[in-house]
Formats: sequence, structure tokens, C-alpha cells
Amino acid sequence: MRYFLRRAGFFAATLWAAVTLNFLIPRLQPGDPAEAIVSRLSGETRIVDPAQVEAIRKMLGVPGGNLLAQYGDYLSAVLAGDFGVSYTYFPYTVTHMIAEGLPWTVVLVGVTQVVSFVAGTLLGAWAAYRRNSRVDSLITLGSTFVGTLPFFWLALVLIYVFGFTLNWFPAQGGYGGGSSPGWTWAFFSDAVQHSVLPALSLLIVGPVGWIIGMRNNMVQTLGEDYARLARARGLTRRRIALTYGARIAVLPNVTGFAIALGGILGGTVLVESVFNYPGLGRMMLEAVSNRDYPLMQALFLFITIGVLAANFLADVLYGVLDPRVRGEEAA
Amino acid sequence: MALLEVRELSVTYRPRDGVPVRAVDRVSFDVAEGEFVGLLGESGCGKSTLGNAVLRLLDKPAAITGGTVVFDGTDITTAREETLRSMRWARISTVFQSSMNSLNPVITVGAQFEDTFQAHGIDPGHRAAELLAMVSLDPVVLRRFPHELSGGMKQRVALALALALSPRFVLLDEPTTGLDVVVQRSILDRLRELQVELGFAVLFISHDLGTVMEMADRVMVMYAGEIVEDQPARAMTAAQLHPYSRGLLGSYADPRAAQISVTYVPGRPPDLSREQRGCRFAARCPMVVDACLSEHPELLPAGQGLARCLMVDSPAIPGGFAVPGRARVDTAEGPPVLAVRDVVKDYRGGTRAVDKVSFDLHSGRVTALVGQSGSGKTTLAKLVTGIERPTEGSVRFGATDVGALRGRKLRAYRRHVQLVFQDPFAALNPTSTVAYALSRPLRNHLGLSAAEAGERAADLLEVVGLAPAAQYLDKLPHQLSGGQRQRVVIARALAPEPAILVADEPISMLDVSIRAEILELLDRLARDRGIAMLYITHDLLSARMLADEVLVLSEGRVVEGGPTLRVIRHAEHAYTKLLLDALPKPV
Amino acid sequence: MTEAAQVAAGRPARLPGWFVILWRNRKCRIGLVMLLVFVALAVLAPWITPYGPREDDYPPSIGPVAEHWLGTTARGEDVLSQLIHGARTSLLVGLAAGVLSTVIALAVGLTAGYLRGLVDEVLSFFTNVALVVPVLPLMVTLAAYAPVKGLWLIIFVISVTGWAYGARIKRSQIITLRTRDYITAAKFAGDSTARIIVREIMPNMTSLIVVGFMGACLGAIGGEAGLAFLGLGDPQTTSWGTMLNQANNGGAMLTGQWAWLVAPGLAFAALMTALTLINFGVDALSNPHLRED
Repeated sequence: MRYFLRRAGFFAATLWAAVTLNFLIPRLQPGDPAEAIVSRLSGETRIVDPAQVEAIRKMLGVPGGNLLAQYGDYLSAVLAGDFGVSYTYFPYTVTHMIAEGLPWTVVLVGVTQVVSFVAGTLLGAWAAYRRNSRVDSLITLGSTFVGTLPFFWLALVLIYVFGFTLNWFPAQGGYGGGSSPGWTWAFFSDAVQHSVLPALSLLIVGPVGWIIGMRNNMVQTLGEDYARLARARGLTRRRIALTYGARIAVLPNVTGFAIALGGILGGTVLVESVFNYPGLGRMMLEAVSNRDYPLMQALFLFITIGVLAANFLADVLYGVLDPRVRGEEAA
Repeated sequence: MALLEVRELSVTYRPRDGVPVRAVDRVSFDVAEGEFVGLLGESGCGKSTLGNAVLRLLDKPAAITGGTVVFDGTDITTAREETLRSMRWARISTVFQSSMNSLNPVITVGAQFEDTFQAHGIDPGHRAAELLAMVSLDPVVLRRFPHELSGGMKQRVALALALALSPRFVLLDEPTTGLDVVVQRSILDRLRELQVELGFAVLFISHDLGTVMEMADRVMVMYAGEIVEDQPARAMTAAQLHPYSRGLLGSYADPRAAQISVTYVPGRPPDLSREQRGCRFAARCPMVVDACLSEHPELLPAGQGLARCLMVDSPAIPGGFAVPGRARVDTAEGPPVLAVRDVVKDYRGGTRAVDKVSFDLHSGRVTALVGQSGSGKTTLAKLVTGIERPTEGSVRFGATDVGALRGRKLRAYRRHVQLVFQDPFAALNPTSTVAYALSRPLRNHLGLSAAEAGERAADLLEVVGLAPAAQYLDKLPHQLSGGQRQRVVIARALAPEPAILVADEPISMLDVSIRAEILELLDRLARDRGIAMLYITHDLLSARMLADEVLVLSEGRVVEGGPTLRVIRHAEHAYTKLLLDALPKPV
Repeated sequence: MTEAAQVAAGRPARLPGWFVILWRNRKCRIGLVMLLVFVALAVLAPWITPYGPREDDYPPSIGPVAEHWLGTTARGEDVLSQLIHGARTSLLVGLAAGVLSTVIALAVGLTAGYLRGLVDEVLSFFTNVALVVPVLPLMVTLAAYAPVKGLWLIIFVISVTGWAYGARIKRSQIITLRTRDYITAAKFAGDSTARIIVREIMPNMTSLIVVGFMGACLGAIGGEAGLAFLGLGDPQTTSWGTMLNQANNGGAMLTGQWAWLVAPGLAFAALMTALTLINFGVDALSNPHLRED
């Protein structure tokens, strides 16, 4: 139990740090942040809507006021889930917009990452099982090469080939003009069609890290004394590879999965922007280019919370998988 | 036909970017049904490689490059993987050197037994629990994970696992190395009983001479990839045929004997990546003649067994490498250099590592702290050197209270108290030269200039027997042998001209044949330079050889102390007697 | 021959040991050669490119022709010239951000690992926080708030967001190193803490530091390309990321200019491959398990 409590404590503290970072970033610039933002907005020949100013005030608190008091206001607003009004999507609230975009990103990232992890781990285990064979070199060298390709570029190539040239899949958006979001078959199949290319661009690069990590870990565990002794005990190669190799080698990958999520969610910003996919990533970019600070900050906070939650889950899973960690509770 | 017949077996390591090394070179031997054979050799002689080759468990870059291993009529070196798999464990099993890591860390002990039975299609029933009972373990252990067991328990599990399918042959590769002597003793006793009871044959690989001589029916001695002698244990104890065996056996003695004389073999084994001509032991041999340098001797019948020596019929040169015994001074004179009084050390969590210990260190005298791991001897060393502060009591160096020193004053104190470490491979920075390592204390503590430090470093190397010094100054640690490194470590400790030397198990990581050499050096330094030495060890023989006074430590307390001869030869406390009983008794 | 000349003549035979090991590794050798080509291209860019990267007096949006091997942009710039100049940006960002984040990682990792105690607790907490915070969204947020846009801002943003992983690895390495006997020996030899860190610990971390540096370079080059592709880069600099951004916005797909689209991606991949291959060799230096046999 102590292991889980300690992890929970860490995540609570990290959450607090992320919230505070979010509070501090806009205040890092010199001068009154709200004024600076408002003046920058008006300087860009945009009409400064009173609602926008209101939203900025909401986010930044009373200008010139006590920083600590601002921090208190900010914290209570965050706790209440009140992030103000988005002025890109006026009059919708930031919370509403996040709820709109969330399912798209969660499904796209969730499915592709789980598939990547499973496929990558299996391929890596296979390469380690057939170490120094042709299969091994093919898998390792192939994945190393694929791993160097920038995936937003892969996305462009996919669009060029499958979207424009072959016209197999829609290249833009999350659903077509013909269907509207709802629990209908037409919408569902349309959404799947639209998700093929974004998913593919994530799936090509996704497994690479897991392949290499798993292979190297497993080559190492198969060289350990317990694996050699298992061989001496007449266990079958399969059994040794699974229980004495893969079972142990997968553990660092589980922790790695959580750490990688931060990077992957960052990657969705790129993918969603290429495909104009209606998820949180594209929304963030839109918020940035429209200087929709409330939305941008809330999204940053939200993505961080998502990564933290995933990390916590991975830690719990790790505790279940590795008896040595559980052992530490007793000690 | 013998159970195991090894013929002309060679194993070569071919590293990708290095010279091939023939670690095992045309080795032949038999193991008969039910026989207990010992294979004795020092680190790097190829004994573990030979063991792995017999089991066909070699990993790249090592590979069998010649010869056969026939077990019960089947040639293991050429058998198909599936044939081999069904033979393994059912007929040949093994216990590895580091049982710390030979159990799968993420599954229970019980699951590993099940794995074994399942692989051979056997219904386990209650076998696992019975096997554990055989090695005096509770069946509860089956539900435990390896990290929840102590080292001794893991080794018992490994032994029970090895006997799971009633094999006819068990290969034991240093099965008790790294365990406490008392635990070692109980496991080895149980092993011998089981072997007699179940009648399996054993190949027992070890560098621990006393144990091998006591346990085995027949002993083979390995040197530089070859077997140099093969004789019944009793015959070998009485008369060794090969000069190397003579040197090796000469390095062991019973510490309880009235008179002990221990020898060492100077020099180091040959570099096997080079072409070998003549006898491989010639460079270290006291009986060497011209023929030894050109003619490679064969393993030929001699005495009651076999030997690989051209001079086997010549009378042994007596005392070829002897270290003369020296009379011990029983009483100390003058005031102590360091006084430890009623020292207590508690660690967080309430564990008491040291409990009311008192002793004095005198100039020119050696005090040995003897105890097993966890007895508090290393903590005491930390208290003496100021790394840790006592919870109660005092450590006094003249008028200085060591426990109160901090920062600059602590650094100044360390000029007077220096350390010799256990592991010569860890005690020298792999990226710094010998000259650099020696120059630091000279420049910091004695304030010498770079040029002066260079000269003094050379002098120090000569003092510790590394001459000519110029040959060693620019070397990096990996270019030196274990013994040479330990000499450098000692030279560095001597550099600031300390009053006290704390030597923490300084010989336990060294090869048996050179231990006495290092002990002799420490002894000479303490006497000639008037250094007060605290010698920490678990090994009663070395304590007997080096120390004037022995303190036996158990669970943080000194249970018995006094002049060396009295403590070891007329032990009073039960714990001291237990330690003495755990010593191997070569036949 | 004078003594100095003899020393100079003897030089080539005495290459540093680590270089010999790296060079002997085939993968690593290929990587080193590739990197050398990129460095040469970047350094010589103004002299070997046919046109200036910003000269826009050519027919816009044409495919590969003899005058423009890779075609031109929608604004009429030469793609090949931009590509070669892009190598400069990537290498500069990789080097600068790599060095910067390695320095931060070293400072944090060494301090936390060597001093332990409260300092370690605090620094480790910040490291772990920095590790879980999603990097690209943070970069985007920081870049969006920044009053000025420029290459050095990008380098700064990448460095302050990318040091954590290296710091964690270095911390755990130093924790195992600091308890080694030779560190104790150095203390007993009277060496100061600073000297112990510099002379006893750092030399034993060389390969780790190099691997960390290479990893940071890879991350930085990728980060710059990503930011530039999103349009958050420095609009004044020619980089592979901005090229892709312009190709995407400039309708390279509609006009069928595959070369404009493919070339920057392949150049990027080739540079990443070079660094990854070198990393293989460096890894093998420190981890005998991964050595090829």
C-alpha cells in the first residue's frame, strides 16, 4: 500500500506544480500581463471584444493586485472547473470546448498508442528471441530507420499519396460534410474513414521505441543467470522466452509507456493540425494562432492532467506486475 | 564406461574486436557414477567455462572448438537441441555460482518448481515441498518471491531445484561463494549427506581449497585452461605432484595448528590470447628447467593419478615460496594510538549495528576484527575513520575526538588514518593512472610539489614491491592484475605516512595463491613503519597469520577478544567455536 | 627530424581510444561519415548552393528541372538552396540546444545525485515534474507567449523543456558511482568535492554524457522541425520545418510538387539516422550486452 500512496502523493504534488506553472507562465513577461495581452490583441487590428477582455481578466485576475491573492482566485477557479470563456468560439466556455474535442483525441491517441505498444513489444520480443538472425536485423534496422522519419512529414506523404493521388481516404477533418455528430452508423463509418490516415501516421512511427526498448531489455534478461539456468533445466525455448525473458523485459516498457505519453500527446498537436482533425491538439494550435489564451492555458493544463493520470495508472500496473516493487511496501 | 567422459574439450572466446582466447584447452577427464569430483582453480583458469561447456550452456562469443562431452552414451556437444532438452535436469542438473540471480525475480519459487516439472511432463504432486524439506526449508517458501529470501535460503532453493528430478549428475559451480561461513558449512554438510543418500555424481567447481579438499573424492587442479593434476583428494593432500598444486595447497593451513607456515605463488598466469610454448606454469615455477620453456608437458600418470609436469619425478624443492612464521608479541607497550571506548552505533529504524565496543590500537601492532557479514565490523571501520559518528561512546586519536570532526578537520585527521579496500577492482578509478592516484594524498596531505610527488610515488611503488616503479606509474588499473592493484591501493594508503591503517578484507577478493604475499606485505609495513593496523576479516587463517590481537564480533558486540593464539587455539565463547567449526577440514 | 616533428608525425597513430572503438563499429562509422557530409554542406552552404535561399525571382511552383533540381516554391524560391541552408539551422539548433540541455541535465543530475538529502528531494521532484509535463504543448505555450520570435528563442525553449530525462539518468548513475571505493579513497586522499566530481566521477560518465548529448540533439532537431512546421518557428530562418510548413500551405500537393514535399523530410530523416547510428556505437561503448558478437 505504501508504494501506491507514495506515488499518489507524488502525482498530487506534480499536479499542483503544473497548475502553478500554468499560473506563472503568462506572468513571466514584464509589465501587466492582462494589459500586454489586450494591447497585443488590439495591435493586431482585431476588434477587442469586451468579452475577450473579460476572459483575460478572468484568467489573469485583477491587474496590479497582489500576486498571492491572484493565485488564490486562480486556484479556486481551477478547482471549480471554471476556465472562463473561449473567445475563438465565443460564447462557448473553455470547458465546453474541451469536452467537444476530448473524445476525438482520446480515441485517436488511445487506440493508436495501445496498438503501437502491443505491436512494438511483440515485435521487439520476437527480434530478441531470434537474436542476430535475419528477422532481428530486419526488425531492428527497419524500425531504427522508420524511427528517424518525422511523423508530421509522414502524415503529409500519406495525404499526398492516399488522399490526393489515390483518393482512397479523406485527407482532412474528423467527419464529412454529409454527416453530423451523433450515434448513427453513417456518422460512425464516416468518422472511421476520416481517422484512417491520422491513425496510420501515428501507427507507423509509434511502435519503434517499444521495439527497440523491448529487444534490448530482453536480450539482457535472456543473458541473465536465471534464463541460463532455465535453459539448463530443460525448459522449452518458448517458455524461457516468455516467462524468463519477455515477462521481465516488459517491465521497463510499462514505465516507459507513461513517460512517452507526454511526447505522444505533443505529437497529436502536429498530426491533428496536418489532418485538420477536430481534437484537442488542433484546438490548441488554433487557440495559439488566435491568441485565445484562456483556451490555450486550459488545454495545456488538461493535457498535463491526462499525462499524469496515465502515469499514475502505469505506476499502479507496474506495482501489480513487479513483485519487487510491492515488496518495498513491507520493508 | 564412466558416466561423464570429457575428451580433448576446447573452448575459445572470439570477441568481435579482440584476439581469440582459448580458455579451455584440450581437457579430458571422467566422472564415474556416484563420484564426487572437485575442480580446483583460480579466477580466469577456465574452470567455470569448462563447467558451462559440459552443460552446453556457453553463450557467444564463447564456443566449443573441439573435443567431445559424452554423458551416459550421448555426445552432448553434437546432440540435437530437443534431445539435449529432455536430458537436461532429468539427468544433468546444476547449481550456479551466483544463486543471487539464478531465480526468476518476478515469479514465485513454487512456480519455478512447477516450470521444471512441467517441462519434463512430470506430475509435481507434493514433490516441491518434500524437496524443500530436504534442504531444511519450510514449504511456505514456495509462495515467496526470490527477493524475499536471504542469500542462504536462495542457495538452498537452488540446491533443492537441482535435485528435483533425481538427476544422476549435478554440476556445482562455486555453490556457496559469497555466503557466510556458518551458512556455507550447513549447506555443504547437507549437500554431502544428500549425495551419499541419493548417490548422484558431482563435479564441484571452486577456488576454495579447503572446501574442495574436504568434500571431494578426487580433485583436479586447473591452470591456464589445462588440467595440471588429477588425484584422489587424500593422495593430493599428502603429496602434490605439480608445483602449482603444491603452491596452491601451501597457501592453506588450519589456523588452529600450533605452527603454521603459508606459502604463495609469485607472478601471474600467462596471457592465453598469445601462443603458448612449453609449460604454462614455467614462469612462476621454482623448479623450472630449460626443457620447461620449450616442451609442453602432457598429462601423464604419476603418483596415484595424473600430472602435467616434466619434473614430476624430481624431489620437490622445499619452501619454494614460503613465508616464515613470526613470533607474536602478546603485550602492548606504551599509550594507544587510537582508543575506542564503549562505542554504540544506531541506524535509523532502530537497528543497532555496534553495541558497546571498546578496543585500542597500538603502534606496530595488528588488531583483527573477526566476524560475519552484519556483525558490525564494517561499521566499526567507518567509526574509526570518521565516516560515521558514534551514537554513544568515543573514538579518540590522541587528544582528538574523532566523532566530533567535520569538514577541514576531518580531512586533516584522514592524513593519519588511511584505508585499504576489499575490492582492488573498485578501489582504483579506472580512468586515472597509478601516478595520479598516488600523487593526490602526497600533494594534499604532505603538500608536495608535482615533481616531488612523482618521485615519492615511485618510492612508494618500490616499497610495496612494484619494481621498477617506472613500469607502473603510467599504467591504468585495467592493465594491472588483482594483486598488483591491491599493492597500488596499499601504496596510496601509505602515501600520507598514516599512523593507522584500516584494512577491510584486503585479501578476500584475491586469488588464493597470492593472498599470503599481500599479508606478508601488510605485516612488514606494520612492523617496519610502526603503523597501528585494524585488520577486518571473516577469515580466521589470515587473522592468525597477521594479527597480534583478535576481537570476535557478533551482532555488534565483541564476544571474545585477546591475543591471537589464545583466542583461536583456546576459544571460550560458543560463537568463536562455531566459526572455528565451520572451517573446512581437508582430509 | 626534430623532436616536435616526431611527435606530430606520431599523432595519427595515437587516436583517442574511444574514437577507435567507435570507428570499428560499422554502423557508427556510417553515421560519422553521414554527419560529416551534413556538417560540410552546412558550413559550405553559401558557396555550393546555386541560388540564395530567399531569392524569389524564379518561376513559382515548378517541379524539378535542370535549373532547379528540386523545383521552386510557391514564392519562386529554389528548393535545393533552401534544403542545403536548412542543414545549417538543424545542426545549429541540435548543437546549441543539445549542449544547453546537457549542461542543465549535468548540473541538476550531478548536484542531486552527489549531495543527496533534501537538495536531492527537491531537484528530483522538479526533474520528475519536468519529465511528465508534455513537452510540445509546453513549447507551444512558451513560444506563443514569447514577445520576440527567433532561432535563439526556439533553442532556449527546447533546452528548458528537454533536460529532465538526461538529468534523471545522470543522477542515478552518479548515485552508483559516488559509493564506489575509489571515491572514498579520493576523500581520504584529501581531495575536495569539486575535484572528486570533476576528476573521479565525470570521466567515468563520459559515454553516458555523450549518449545524453546525442539524445538531446535528436530531440532538439525534431522539436525545431515540429515548431517550425506548426508555424511557430522563426519566419526569418530557413529550416526543414519551415520548408514543410510552406510546402503544405503553398499547395505542393495540389501542384504535384512531390520533390518539395519529400526532400526536407528525407534530409531530416538522414540526419536523424546519422545521429542514431553514432549513438549505437556510443551505447555499445558503455553497455557490453549490446555489443555485436
